Amino acid sequence: MTPLVLRRWAAWAPGHETPESWAAWAATPVPLLGDGHPEAGFLPAMLRRRCTPLSRIVLTAAFACCPEPERSEVRTVFASRHGSINESIELLEAVVRSERISPAKFSHTVHNAQAGLFSIAAANRCASSSLSAAGDSFPCAWIEAETHVQREPDRAVLLVMADVPLADTFASLVDEPAVPYALALLVAATGEGSRVALSLQPGSGKNSQRRPWPDAFEFLRWILGEEPALELEVGARLWSWRRETA
Amino acid sequence: MVNALGAGAEEVWPRLLAGDTSRLSLRADLVPDRTLLLGEVRSPLPKLPRNLARYDCRNNALALAALLQIEPAVAAARARFGSHRLGVVMGTSTSGVGDAEEAIRHQQRTGGLAPSFDYAQLEFGGIAHFIADFLAITGPAYTLSTACSSGARALASARSLLALGLCDAVIAGAADSLCRLTTNGFSALHAISQELTNPCSVNRRGLTLGEGAALFLVTSAPSGIQLLGVGESSEAHHMSAPDPSGAGAETAMRGALEDARLAPSDIAYLNLHGTGTAQNDSMECWAAARVLGGDVPMSSTKPMVGHTLGAAGAMEAGFCWLVLRASRDGLLKLPPHCWDSAQDPELPELLLVTKGQQARPSGRAVVMTNSFGFGGNNCTLVLGAATP
Repeated sequence: MTPLVLRRWAAWAPGHETPESWAAWAATPVPLLGDGHPEAGFLPAMLRRRCTPLSRIVLTAAFACCPEPERSEVRTVFASRHGSINESIELLEAVVRSERISPAKFSHTVHNAQAGLFSIAAANRCASSSLSAAGDSFPCAWIEAETHVQREPDRAVLLVMADVPLADTFASLVDEPAVPYALALLVAATGEGSRVALSLQPGSGKNSQRRPWPDAFEFLRWILGEEPALELEVGARLWSWRRETA
Repeated sequence: MVNALGAGAEEVWPRLLAGDTSRLSLRADLVPDRTLLLGEVRSPLPKLPRNLARYDCRNNALALAALLQIEPAVAAARARFGSHRLGVVMGTSTSGVGDAEEAIRHQQRTGGLAPSFDYAQLEFGGIAHFIADFLAITGPAYTLSTACSSGARALASARSLLALGLCDAVIAGAADSLCRLTTNGFSALHAISQELTNPCSVNRRGLTLGEGAALFLVTSAPSGIQLLGVGESSEAHHMSAPDPSGAGAETAMRGALEDARLAPSDIAYLNLHGTGTAQNDSMECWAAARVLGGDVPMSSTKPMVGHTLGAAGAMEAGFCWLVLRASRDGLLKLPPHCWDSAQDPELPELLLVTKGQQARPSGRAVVMTNSFGFGGNNCTLVLGAATP
């Protein structure tokens, strides 16, 4: 178990765009609902035009969490269960109709599209992973962030967990809160902030009680609260985060 | 491993050394009005167990074909360390998108979802959970998907999971499967060659796509072939084109050497990313010349198996593993660079491997493999022979 220091965070969901709004939500949480995406007006127009809703959400949270000069110097982990699958489904529908597909759209359907856009927008040339692990995506992103700290202990890691609801075609196949969102965390081996360790035990085979918000926001609620530990059970795996006192 | 050359190390290795490009095949059913030469896997693939039918897609069948080849070693590791101490890190860029095509076709025809289709086939995380569920492993299991560097990155993370003490063994590798999305996508990008890919040649016309899977059992045992170094970079340049300066590739190669605490002269062979596009060839060859000089034998193995995209990093690490495993009397047999031998005069002078060529490393045998992906995601691995 390697504790990480959570230096900063930023989050976006419809109607919740400021730290104050998230603090109020964490104190008295309500189901996260709604639609849409932030404008991401800080991006150059050329780049912004290419951005899907997910890309705008991811970049908005990432930029808010990680200002310059650190923005160009962090390693990054981008996690998303669905990633750009909605855009892939659109292209697939075109392919099935034997239509030509747009090369620019195709190159934006890679799972690391948001990582690539962040690298360009932030002039960041550091190592970057993009990850997906179904219902374990958020805790696995934390683990992957640990692997980056292992490879380069002196460098901070920007972790962004984000998703948009799955397109109607397949939406009935997943059971999850259907809300677009991102949570960005800046973590490192050292520094100012809560020291948090994640551990993994075998689970009972059941899932934790589903809450009407994504697991990443249950984590945010925990970070903003006082409880010593947070448990998240996803099938065969029981993930627990624990605060460490210095 | 499984790829167009065959299934399993024993079948693939002699064909790889022989420079066998005869196993690529033509398909006219993927891109409208185009016949493509492809590295399709034609070995029979295993059926998924019935209780894991939700994962049933070609991509996972390819992964299972590779997994079954190393299953005895994996089972021994599980018995020794316990199922909770094993992890899974997989790479893929396609997941089961080929099977999702069928699901969408079914939906357009009938308005309903095909009963056999499950989202676990399409989502990127599906392949890692499939491997974990197949082996009844309850350690961390996740998929890395950074386009064509996915497979290399899975090995990098596996090594870190061991170093962190989170796992005692990790099943790591990658699978990618031919499908209409990638063939039409690369075709729209004008990146696919009509003839066999011809990397580094003045006559090159682009890439040849392929499919396959390569899986490793990664442990911290000091015996066996070692993953000595990992180098990574992002390009901050373009979503589908590499930085023409090769700066990102150079950072990854230098990073891998530094991580392995080795000098450029220690590298006995470089497996090029070598896609056969003008942009990749130019930036990679110049970067390799700057980092390693002109005396290191190098080859692209993509003319034999095609570009297996998300699986390529693991596949080519697998080829490097085969090279190191066959090391005898200080000699390394190398996979040849299959091309028309008409080197692009714009490229630096390179020592491209000819059939039968061997390397004689001065010390421990060490080789390097490059993987560069869309979105500007680069990963270079350095592998070394078992210490005697």
